[in-house]
Amino acid sequence: MDGRASTDGPAQAAGPADEALLALFAQGDPRAARLLTERLGPRAFSVALRVLGNRAEAEDVAQEAMLRLWRTAPDWQAGRARVSTWLYRVVLNLCLDRKRRAKAVDLDAVPEPPDTAPPALEVLQQAARVDALQAALMHLPDRQRQAVVLRHIEELSNPEIAEIMGIGVEAVESLTARGKRALAGHLAGQRAALGYEDER
Amino acid sequence: MKMSDDMSDLDRMLHAARAGRDDLPEALAQRMLADAAGVQASLARPAARPAAVAQDAWRGLLAALGGWRGMGGLATACAAGVWIGVAPPEFLPDPAQLVLGLESETETLGFYDLADFISEEG
Repeated sequence: MDGRASTDGPAQAAGPADEALLALFAQGDPRAARLLTERLGPRAFSVALRVLGNRAEAEDVAQEAMLRLWRTAPDWQAGRARVSTWLYRVVLNLCLDRKRRAKAVDLDAVPEPPDTAPPALEVLQQAARVDALQAALMHLPDRQRQAVVLRHIEELSNPEIAEIMGIGVEAVESLTARGKRALAGHLAGQRAALGYEDER
Repeated sequence: MKMSDDMSDLDRMLHAARAGRDDLPEALAQRMLADAAGVQASLARPAARPAAVAQDAWRGLLAALGGWRGMGGLATACAAGVWIGVAPPEFLPDPAQLVLGLESETETLGFYDLADFISEEG
């Protein structure tokens, strides 16, 4: 599913806005549910996966966040907030709740594609790099990890991240800068293992 | 190793992570859609609103009292009772005397007679 085709905000390219779809959903239009799932479902899952580092938990969080969106549809106030912003905020809150409940993080449960065919070396290397990045992300404090994921993986603007996290734009800049430096530090010793030495 | 190399490697890793961000497991998408269908079904048959419930209760009470005709009779009887209490007709016995007859023990306790108060005021 392509979750980036059309979302609220500047990236809105084709199709009705998320807010309009939400209104249609509340009126019982099943196509609105499908379109919103295609647009927002991948975002909810992606952020939850990067923040939690656990695929099963990320699926639960993404499903719960979308369920809350469905339930809030009849009471949605137009212009209150962007739907995607609201959803990111719900996802992050659900992630925080889970992390508070279970302090121990299961790093072994990070992405394992159920592919039986022997993948090409390039694909393996790419997967190893994403896994290494995820492991490094899990070493960051929660707020730094959230900011880095929203900025550098979800590619949101700093003002939008500030709105989602309930902090100022300068605080977002500080969190992402410190987070990125810490990530680079964690990954510094793995250049050869991840194939970066060969590419230079 | 330079910090700029580390940052460059990190940027490439973030780029690789971005490549997979649009993947939504099909089973998860189906669960989300099933939830959506459930919520839409519940929205289609809204629960009874409190106002409607109260209206139903009043209708039930009205029916139990014999409908609007019964309610009219009840209202008339209430109004007549109030009026008789305020301005009793001549042929009705004095309620104060009735009370005195029933509460004769009060004299033995040395309390004032209720009829005295009424006669003084009247």
